[in-house]
Amino acid sequence: MQNKRPPKVLVLVALILSVATYSQSAQSQENSSATDQNKPANETTPASNQPAKEAASDLKQASSEEGKLATVNDAKIPSYARVYVAPMLGGFENYIIAGLRNKKVPLTVVVDRSKADYEISGVSESEKAGWAKMLFIGVQNSNEQASIKIAHLKTGAVIFGYSVHKTNSARGKQSAGEACAKHIKQIVIE
Amino acid sequence: MAYSRRVVSMFVVLIVVAVTAAQAGEKNAPPSQKIPKGSKVFVAPIADGFDSYLKDAIAKKKVPLEIATNRDQADYEITGTAETQKASTAKILIMGNWHSREEASITLSNIKSGEVVWAYSVHQEASTHGKRSSAESCAKHLKDAIEQGK
Repeated sequence: MQNKRPPKVLVLVALILSVATYSQSAQSQENSSATDQNKPANETTPASNQPAKEAASDLKQASSEEGKLATVNDAKIPSYARVYVAPMLGGFENYIIAGLRNKKVPLTVVVDRSKADYEISGVSESEKAGWAKMLFIGVQNSNEQASIKIAHLKTGAVIFGYSVHKTNSARGKQSAGEACAKHIKQIVIE
Repeated sequence: MAYSRRVVSMFVVLIVVAVTAAQAGEKNAPPSQKIPKGSKVFVAPIADGFDSYLKDAIAKKKVPLEIATNRDQADYEITGTAETQKASTAKILIMGNWHSREEASITLSNIKSGEVVWAYSVHQEASTHGKRSSAESCAKHLKDAIEQGK
């Protein structure tokens, strides 16, 4: 009889271990893509062009209506992760934050970089309608373009990139900020 | 007896490990989005004096917030950006529109926690009252956010 005990105990131990490791494995799966990209992301910083090409080959691009999206190995951001939006030219960071709220992206935006898990940084540019555009096309809307990237602050890996270009943007920077937010939402686990 | 004790102790250790692992794997909690009425808010300087327009609009729209002149005394802080483009000659002559183009975006953050609790952006292609219109739009939506608790 005693010979049959150890297998039962082992089964129970295995069950408890599987429960214990389940949550950790789930979390590590979410972060694995980010941590896996640590090497290519770090390799892009040196001056040599070869690693940059390798990192670029890992980017998965998908064209949308007005912009281009690139995620690295289908990286995901856990919901309500703490995100810091770095200052951008023309105060575009405010439009991104407003866009995140408007599009109900489940992220927590913080104003202190040290408290954040991820950082959103980028550039933006507005081109106002000139007299020729108004005269010949009859449009007074501006052209907007912006490009953002999301980096995991602990690993330094860039996990997401998106660029948007809007010709005759109806709502200027607001439209571009909301486009960025809409695409960020796609990589957030809800 | 010794064998059963060993098994029990192993179980206890494994359960502790499972509980700690489960806690570590918990999702991040959503931040509290409620802005209590009567909170003290500090309006940080914004480009082109938009902060002054915003303070006036907060008072005019009867937003249930108290404006603090000192950041240390405030619970929340409003930061943002604003841009005005006056109607060019081409816009006036060709489009027949002499109103300015207004853009503004503001963010309300909790000073203690450092979390952004509310944000709003406004764009007016032909603003009748310039910055005043965009500031009042911001104030109106801020008031809605406070009253609806969203």
